[in-house]
Amino acid sequence: MNAITQTSADTRRKRGRGMAASWYGIARTATIDRAGAWAEIDDGGTIKVVTGVTEIGEGILTVLAQVAAEETGARPEDVTIGDNDTARSPEAAHAGATRQTYMIGNSVALASREARKMLFEQIAEHWDTPEDSLRAFNGEIWVEGSNLRMTLSEAVAICKGRGVVPVGAASFTAHGTGLHPVDGKGSPWQTYVFGTQVAEVEVDTWTGEVQVLGIWAAHDVGRCINPRGVEGQIEGGVVQGLGQALMEEHICEGGHPTTHGFAKYILPTALDVPQINCIIVEDEDPTSPLRAKGIGEPALVPTCPAIMNAIYDAIGVRMKSLPATPEKILAALRMPPGGGARITWNNRPAGETLT
Amino acid sequence: MSETRITCEVNGRKVARTVATHKRLLDLLRDDLNLTGTKEGCGAGECGTCSVFVDGKLVKSCLVPAARAEGARIETIEGLAGMGPLTPVQKAFHKTGASQCGYCIPGMVMAATNCLRLNPEADIDEIKERMGGNICRCTGYTKILEAVEIARDVIAGRRPEGDLDTDEPLGDSFIGHNVRRIDAPAKVTGRLRYAADMKLVDMLQMQVLRSPHPHARIVSIDTSVAEAMEGVECVITAADVPGKDGFGVFVHDQPIMARGKVRHVGEAVAAVAAEDLLTARRAVAAIKVEYEPLPVIGTPEDAIAPGAPVIHDYAPDNVVKHIPLRKGNPEAGFAEADLIIEDSFSTQSVEHAYLEPEAGVAFVDHDDVVTVHSPSQNITHHRHMLADILGLPINKVRMVMSAVGGGFGGKEDMIYQGMLALAAIRTRRPVQLNFTREESLIASAKRHPSKVSYKMGLKRTGKITAITFDMLSDGGAYGMSSEGVMRKAAILSCGPYEVHNLQVDTRAVYTNNTPSGAFRTFGGMQAQFATESMMDIAAEALGMDPFELRRINMYRKGSITHTQHRLDRASLDMVLDAAETASRWESGAPNVRGAARSDMGGPDTRQPCTLGARIVAEAADLSQGDHPTKASTEAAE
Repeated sequence: MNAITQTSADTRRKRGRGMAASWYGIARTATIDRAGAWAEIDDGGTIKVVTGVTEIGEGILTVLAQVAAEETGARPEDVTIGDNDTARSPEAAHAGATRQTYMIGNSVALASREARKMLFEQIAEHWDTPEDSLRAFNGEIWVEGSNLRMTLSEAVAICKGRGVVPVGAASFTAHGTGLHPVDGKGSPWQTYVFGTQVAEVEVDTWTGEVQVLGIWAAHDVGRCINPRGVEGQIEGGVVQGLGQALMEEHICEGGHPTTHGFAKYILPTALDVPQINCIIVEDEDPTSPLRAKGIGEPALVPTCPAIMNAIYDAIGVRMKSLPATPEKILAALRMPPGGGARITWNNRPAGETLT
Repeated sequence: MSETRITCEVNGRKVARTVATHKRLLDLLRDDLNLTGTKEGCGAGECGTCSVFVDGKLVKSCLVPAARAEGARIETIEGLAGMGPLTPVQKAFHKTGASQCGYCIPGMVMAATNCLRLNPEADIDEIKERMGGNICRCTGYTKILEAVEIARDVIAGRRPEGDLDTDEPLGDSFIGHNVRRIDAPAKVTGRLRYAADMKLVDMLQMQVLRSPHPHARIVSIDTSVAEAMEGVECVITAADVPGKDGFGVFVHDQPIMARGKVRHVGEAVAAVAAEDLLTARRAVAAIKVEYEPLPVIGTPEDAIAPGAPVIHDYAPDNVVKHIPLRKGNPEAGFAEADLIIEDSFSTQSVEHAYLEPEAGVAFVDHDDVVTVHSPSQNITHHRHMLADILGLPINKVRMVMSAVGGGFGGKEDMIYQGMLALAAIRTRRPVQLNFTREESLIASAKRHPSKVSYKMGLKRTGKITAITFDMLSDGGAYGMSSEGVMRKAAILSCGPYEVHNLQVDTRAVYTNNTPSGAFRTFGGMQAQFATESMMDIAAEALGMDPFELRRINMYRKGSITHTQHRLDRASLDMVLDAAETASRWESGAPNVRGAARSDMGGPDTRQPCTLGARIVAEAADLSQGDHPTKASTEAAE
């Protein structure tokens, strides 16, 4: 046991746990969403995919390579994804709204299926076998239950020798509706995700400093395409949430920003990160070809409230104004009891206040 | 401009260059040697993206004058592996998926390499400390630290080198398989070029004059001195916009440069394209603008006060957007409640802090197509808006999404692409604009600060009977994504719980603060912070476990949402169970029971941060001879 955990039993450092649940919608909100993609099974059994939106760091290029490979029978490393460029690629709208895996992933899956269908038609005729007996995976194509097998590279050459370039194009739609202007009635998304996080914190009651020691983050992502990629999104979301919970604040005083650089705008570093335990829950989406949902934004939602609930568990102070900086924690600890939520019981004296 | 001759060794090769004396080592590497793997994230030594070795010591090259390189031996990210295979550190970053946007990664790889060179036996606390000067905004550091530990064990011979190249065996599908990131090799070597790394022949540099006032009328702009300066190719203002000026994700209320008045500090007023950066900066300083200050709205409460100054003529009440939700009868719901809880919550303005500041290059191609390369999160919408602004057909505007060094919603706003395009049309030369960190902070959108007034009624059983939820958000000076953010905040407001009676109002209003816009969760976080705090307050009042209270109210198959959408499925029960089980949650009411809990301090938590791990290790090393050990950690356990 080190010096700090020894003293945590005394009055200075106090620990606590809190949890929070959350929900989120996938793809653009309260509107129809759409994305287009083109795919070609190219020479050498390689794949060309072109779509109008791509990587901002979340790992979508890798997801699309996995999807295109799975659908065509190629390998992910054989997939080339074209630049996204409004003059050279189909519209796929924006990189945001937790829509990349769902919208672009599904449009690439559908385009790849189209290309595969063209290839399979030719190979089925070549082998004189029904189309539905063909299988393709990991760079090979074969007839189920037979000894007919060749590389995808050979299959493309045969297909082209028969005068056909195997290409596909597809569009994927998510049918959200607008909200009624008076009561807000509407179906803003066709797919929702849910998440729950638990936070464990230690509060130094002398300095007001909060350390988040553990996070357990359980998120439904639908069918998981790349587990490590999902973990990366959760870990990144949690640490952004932690930054907002405890330290980050852009300040304007009378319209004049005073947070001019990273010396003033404090961000989490490697020293601030808790151990993050990711639990990936797969409630597959039955309404879309990939059965995947998304994780980019939802990962961040429950982190702040889970941390604030844990701080309350540790020191009995409810932080209702973010960020919970050391200064605010100390000020709250010095406050006399009161200032909590107004709680009124119908059959008890009114105005009873929690401290 | 005074110049100096520098001779040094870079990545094992002798180089000699004559450079301007004001240049930093970072500029020498990036501009003069085209070694763009070394990135500029802040220019102030605070983020670590520009880390290089000088005579074996890790330094932040933005803080080193170029002249200090004289006679030095410099090693950059490009030199680590050279033409050979990736180093164990690079391979480990590839293996664990440690790179996301990749912009911080060259600096991270350099810091990790430095850590393991200094102490090949560094424990996790020492690794964290030695990497503590490098900021990453995407990964949450977890996979980066995992990579450094793997690399350490391989270098120390405790783990076979082959581990770096092998992955779990492939089953019968690539879906669900941990396929390595296909873009990682380009990122761990610094080969990936972002917009600021682009260099085109004959390219001009742009600089922007920004408003020092939160709210002021522009009386006059005099660009004549700037335009007459040698090396200045063009000076542009709102007067040069040929089409219908105005952009925004929902309402097109923002001109590409201030038109008639400025509405926030840092708003673009004029821009210069010149032969080099220094000339452009000098020309910007020579532009004279006369302002007449207007009353400033500093808070959303001031914005909706009677008689408040009007920021945009089209919105005399300063409201960007109000989203109402009405369901059931809240009054009746509160009447049947056994307890009613009222409280309010506030969240702050948050910066995206992507490590890649805004950057872009524009040019007009041989077919008169205006082309803009930038890390835009929405090239489709930007193309539409830019075509209108330039008065061109859609197919004469081409937006290309360059590698994005982090976005999080902050690169959905077209805050500089219009100026670049206009300058390219005016000069018929490629034009580049790279924001400084200060510029990025002052000119880009933030997360909406919000205040929520909350009233929740519940039965003793824990069932919620009614909610009123009122959110007021600071939209800042321009609309940007405020409308959508308010819509999403309203839809998600009362959390994943079935509430039969509710009244939800979310409002974003104009102020003269830095504009608020899209930011990861788009209002969902601000709303659910309030709801989840209220749920715990309620659980304490009811003496109920917080998981239990949520299960009583949670959405299930067939539930009707706050917008009266019937759910075909809902997985909240699954994630509640998963989090409760994984965290070994000890059931009980959230009544400040931290001291009495027995579910804390498990192996799935970290130790509290013990600053000085490095010093402890060095002390242990001194006392125990030649072999650095993990004595400090062992002693601590």
